[in-house]
Amino acid sequence: MANFNLRKAEPKDVPDILRLIKELAKYEEMEDQVILTEKDLLEDGFGDHPFYHCVVADVPAEHQKVEGYSVIGFAMYYFTYDPWIGKLLYLEDFYVMKEYRGFGIGSEILKTLSDTAVKNRCSSMHFIVAESNKASIDFYKRRGASDLSLQEGWRLFRIDKENLLKISAEE
Amino acid sequence: MANFILRKAEPKDVSDILRLIKELAKFEEMEEQVVLTEKELLEDGFGDHPFYHCVVAEVPKDKQSVEGYTVVGFAMYYFTYDPWIGKLLYLEDFYVMKEFRGYGMGSEILKMLSETAVKTRCSGMHFIVAEWNTSSIEFYKRRGASDLSHEEGWRLYEIDKCNLLKMSSK
Repeated sequence: MANFNLRKAEPKDVPDILRLIKELAKYEEMEDQVILTEKDLLEDGFGDHPFYHCVVADVPAEHQKVEGYSVIGFAMYYFTYDPWIGKLLYLEDFYVMKEYRGFGIGSEILKTLSDTAVKNRCSSMHFIVAESNKASIDFYKRRGASDLSLQEGWRLFRIDKENLLKISAEE
Repeated sequence: MANFILRKAEPKDVSDILRLIKELAKFEEMEEQVVLTEKELLEDGFGDHPFYHCVVAEVPKDKQSVEGYTVVGFAMYYFTYDPWIGKLLYLEDFYVMKEFRGYGMGSEILKMLSETAVKTRCSGMHFIVAEWNTSSIEFYKRRGASDLSHEEGWRLYEIDKCNLLKMSSK
């Protein structure tokens, strides 16, 4: 089955995007951590100022599985900024449903994102990968990705909402 | 000297922003890697769709730096998106000129960014720090920051322009 279509997500895709976000989270055993709602996704992605962009992969009706989904893969990305070189494309989430893997859908998604990055005058694409995720690391390394954490020693930090409120309230 | 103000950057601040970006890069011994120009900073930060936001720290004229600068610190940030929780504030660059440190400017900048994050309904603030930069790590840890690379094993990857073009053209 090589018959699939990649396109920009539309507001009607929001339920499928949330479903796929939860499927990917479930695979990471974190499904209960997804608190985002369809309403948030709609406002944040399709309002005046989108905070993210999505590309979705859909298959024709005759290739749908039992559950009847035609949207079977997605990538979520946004633009970030490097103060030395300017715009970057940041790949946030990337997932193809298990039954649809091995048909080149992932490669095509990454190709579409590469085109988007180049068209938008981005200097490169950044993303994070868990060090335990060997399959993804190999997928990206085959396409020329380099591990900046290894090369340059970068570590990702977070200040969560609770601590942000503490800092805001400090005199 | 506790006399300084923090404000949103304006188009006129672009040359100071670039100067401070280069000073911070110089500290990391990477000054020649800064290829960004004032023109790009202006278009990218102050056009219809800003790709970044800046807060600058300014001192009065009588307190200006040795070379005569009044903009003596900055933070560059933008909004990112976590598919599980939504909007985040991402702190990209953060620097106060050496002779103006120790007066609480850095803390005030971080406080302002925390307020911005909360006001814009962000679930948290993310940023990267080099593992050898112990003073910055301490600064952030004192304010409740956790090392996600350590806790969750995340590593930052890059596919550069050359490889993007290779993929695009296949």
